[in-house]
Amino acid sequence: MAEADGKAQKDAGRGGGRLCCICQARKPALKRPKTLQQICRECFYAVFEAEIHEVIVENRLFKPGERIAIGASGGKDSTVLAYVLSELNQRHNYGLDLFLLSVDEGITGYRDDSLETVKRNEMQYGLPLKIVSYKDLYGWTMDEIVKMIGMKNNCTFCGVFRRQALDRGAAMLKVDKLATGHNADDIAETVLLNILRGDIARLSRCTSITTGEDGPIPRCKPFKYTYEKEIVIYPLTPISFYYYFSTECIYSPNAYRGFAREFIKDLERIRPRAILDIIRSGENFRISTSTRMPEQGTCERCGYISSQKWCKACVLLEGLNKGLPKLGIGRTRGPNAEPKQDQMPNGSRSMASKQCGTLDF
Amino acid sequence: MHLTLEFGGGLELLCDAVKIHDVHVEPPVGSEKMTMRDLLLWVQKNLIKERPEMFIKGDTVRPGVLVLVNDCDWELSGQLDTTLEEKDVVVFISTLHGG
Amino acid sequence: MSCDASSCQSSNCHRNGDATRPRHALPPVDDLAALCLKCKSARPFSSSSSAVGGGREDDARFCADCFRSNLFGKFRHSVISNAMISPADNVLVAFSGGPASRVALQFVHEMQYKVQRDFDASRDRSLRVFGVGVAFIDESSAYSVPMEEANKVREDIRWIVSSLSPPEKELHIFPLEEIYSNGLNNGKEKLMELLDMAGDATGKEDLLVHLRVLSLQKIATDNGYTRVVLGSCTSKIACHVITATVKGQGYSLPADIQYADARWDVPVVLPLRDCLEQEIDTLCHLESLKTTDLPHKESLSTINTLVSSFVALLQKENPSRESTIVRTAGKLTPFHFNRIPELKDDNVPLATRRRQKRSSLKLNGSLSSESFCPICYGPVNPTAHSLSVENTDQPRCNIFVDSCCLSCRFQILPQDPSQMEHFMELWPQTFVTGPKQQARSLHLSSLREQIQDCLLSDSDNES
Repeated sequence: MAEADGKAQKDAGRGGGRLCCICQARKPALKRPKTLQQICRECFYAVFEAEIHEVIVENRLFKPGERIAIGASGGKDSTVLAYVLSELNQRHNYGLDLFLLSVDEGITGYRDDSLETVKRNEMQYGLPLKIVSYKDLYGWTMDEIVKMIGMKNNCTFCGVFRRQALDRGAAMLKVDKLATGHNADDIAETVLLNILRGDIARLSRCTSITTGEDGPIPRCKPFKYTYEKEIVIYPLTPISFYYYFSTECIYSPNAYRGFAREFIKDLERIRPRAILDIIRSGENFRISTSTRMPEQGTCERCGYISSQKWCKACVLLEGLNKGLPKLGIGRTRGPNAEPKQDQMPNGSRSMASKQCGTLDF
Repeated sequence: MHLTLEFGGGLELLCDAVKIHDVHVEPPVGSEKMTMRDLLLWVQKNLIKERPEMFIKGDTVRPGVLVLVNDCDWELSGQLDTTLEEKDVVVFISTLHGG
Repeated sequence: MSCDASSCQSSNCHRNGDATRPRHALPPVDDLAALCLKCKSARPFSSSSSAVGGGREDDARFCADCFRSNLFGKFRHSVISNAMISPADNVLVAFSGGPASRVALQFVHEMQYKVQRDFDASRDRSLRVFGVGVAFIDESSAYSVPMEEANKVREDIRWIVSSLSPPEKELHIFPLEEIYSNGLNNGKEKLMELLDMAGDATGKEDLLVHLRVLSLQKIATDNGYTRVVLGSCTSKIACHVITATVKGQGYSLPADIQYADARWDVPVVLPLRDCLEQEIDTLCHLESLKTTDLPHKESLSTINTLVSSFVALLQKENPSRESTIVRTAGKLTPFHFNRIPELKDDNVPLATRRRQKRSSLKLNGSLSSESFCPICYGPVNPTAHSLSVENTDQPRCNIFVDSCCLSCRFQILPQDPSQMEHFMELWPQTFVTGPKQQARSLHLSSLREQIQDCLLSDSDNES
């Protein structure tokens, strides 16, 4: 895109000759979905970073001296998050020790590529990287799991295992908190999905910027109010000094064709502020505090937090190891002798777009 | 007219996994200028090999596809009515990819 | 329908919902193959029903009679268990001409007819028969519908209502511009001007809805009605849940989706809350119930039309989706006014009062502290709502803007502050001092007092 810069002169007329409404000097390069302002690239970087700093400060996401893991998938959100956090940490003296934490699901041709990106980030930002793998933690790679159970339901395994793997990785790094790259579009989508699924407990906490404060490792979402569009544009700088990898999981190739995501994008086109409005709705829902999740205990087997006798991962694992991979999925009964399910009913086309490849809420 | 088209965020998979296409496009018969509307039709016909619904919805790009003309958000230049010129660089990025 | 919220583990709830059968449905029966699921004697009308409405499996296996009694049963259950209509009531049915309000009208009529019959047959005649009136809000001027077409629709409405007697029902045809009841003839122009001020297409649609609600209240209070019956069905409510969420109205949402809404002088009730649009369409088809509609252009793409097609798509993919959406939103905490006020009348039978006790909602927060947006009458979230910094000399339109919810400020109020004064002139005055205004203005002043202690940042809300 370097070539494009030389043409800036020529293009001045095409934008209607307007100037950036922040600096009033340069030609605008994008329209901010959040404010509808037309601003130039330089002002965009400044305001993008400043807003995230503001969110971090206002919500007291970090305390000086804390060790923070950044959940890094190699995708756009976590890559931009890693960069911005390390920048802000230096610029504003947060005093944080930052780490990259990645999960290797063991998906040939998908995760090994994106892990290369994360390793590159480790070098570029000088952030120590920890990779935890399903193979090490559970004895199974996703490739092996799919070989055993087929293409159906494998997202259940992946989701449950990933959530726990991140917590275990964070514990190994001895961090105080885990920061994830969920953006405003993701959160708006989650609000809608929880309404569509009837999940009032998740609905009540999915808009919290920090979650799991009662659990082993609290998680926070510094991009809660950041539009996906801006995260995608952000790395497209002429001085492109880092990479980001983008692809979809090979085991869930149509995941991003989800209804809900498409709906969010349709909404954004008619009314960009709708994404923040959905988040605001989620924050303001009147949900009585008695509608909380069941009490948390610990898994008898592995010691991970669980509301059941065994945690979900142990149930799934037991099934795999016994050759009964349906255990813990859908209506089948596992050691907890209670029906449970995480799946959308009747295995029809998925409504969610990013249940794969993203970090679990 | 020579244009450089760049596909990213997974859209390259719709056109033989090639990210950058240097192409030669002519304005439609009877028209002097080439607009983004014309280019989208051309791309759909000549570059998109599969799942066109991932790229186009109605007469424009599918919501969630970002378009930059010479590094500039096409929402500023009139979207479909943006006039293209020789050696312009047009970038299409899907934001609907994993995080 | 919904499980006990306190003990509900949502995932199970979800499971139950998605295996849905209607609340009053029967336990699963052994395969009696081709016979009606309920009476096991008649043939189901399934083949035609799937063509009509896609039908849920259970419905499709009902015969026409059982399908109807099942649907009527849902209506009756909502009416009775929420004490929507008592013998002393005078009920105004809002009839748009569309299928849902047509079915509401039909069912209310049947209920009234039966009570009348029992009354005529009884010896002591102690129980009164509730009265029924019908309101048609004529929006033809807002949509610029040609005169002949509007006349035709009004004729249809008259014909439908007159066919539903005895007992006779008074019909109120109310041109929307009559909200300007100032005796002058410029109502139409004022209405058009007001609608044009809402710059946002979605806002304009919503403004019409708000004006319609206010018109119904006006008809009801002017004519001594004690209830307003709306035909809102599950599908419509599901769409409202999503649109309200998308517009940032998460706080006020639970106020709109309950069986009863007594924030108005005349309480509004939703007896078709548990009936699906498909079922309603099927009934209209089966019984050839005449419906009519003002021909108006679909506005291009608004939040409302986008949500409708989204929900329709989801419903097609999973026939219990709409019910699940409404059930989720039903778990949000309702407001104190989401119930019919306690009956004090000694004439009311004990059973009705008892039922009402049982159905009364668990209330949250203090009783009368709610403040309402003067445009949409939605309760305004006191913690998220920010008033601009206290200034006693504030022009009255600033106070008006401040008391509006964020959603109305964005999509209905003119974006140019200099137009605000004019907007307020156009806003129908009858209703600015409308229902529950007292509580609202009281609250406004108390809010202004509170603001000293807690100056809220509005950066999130304004961004």
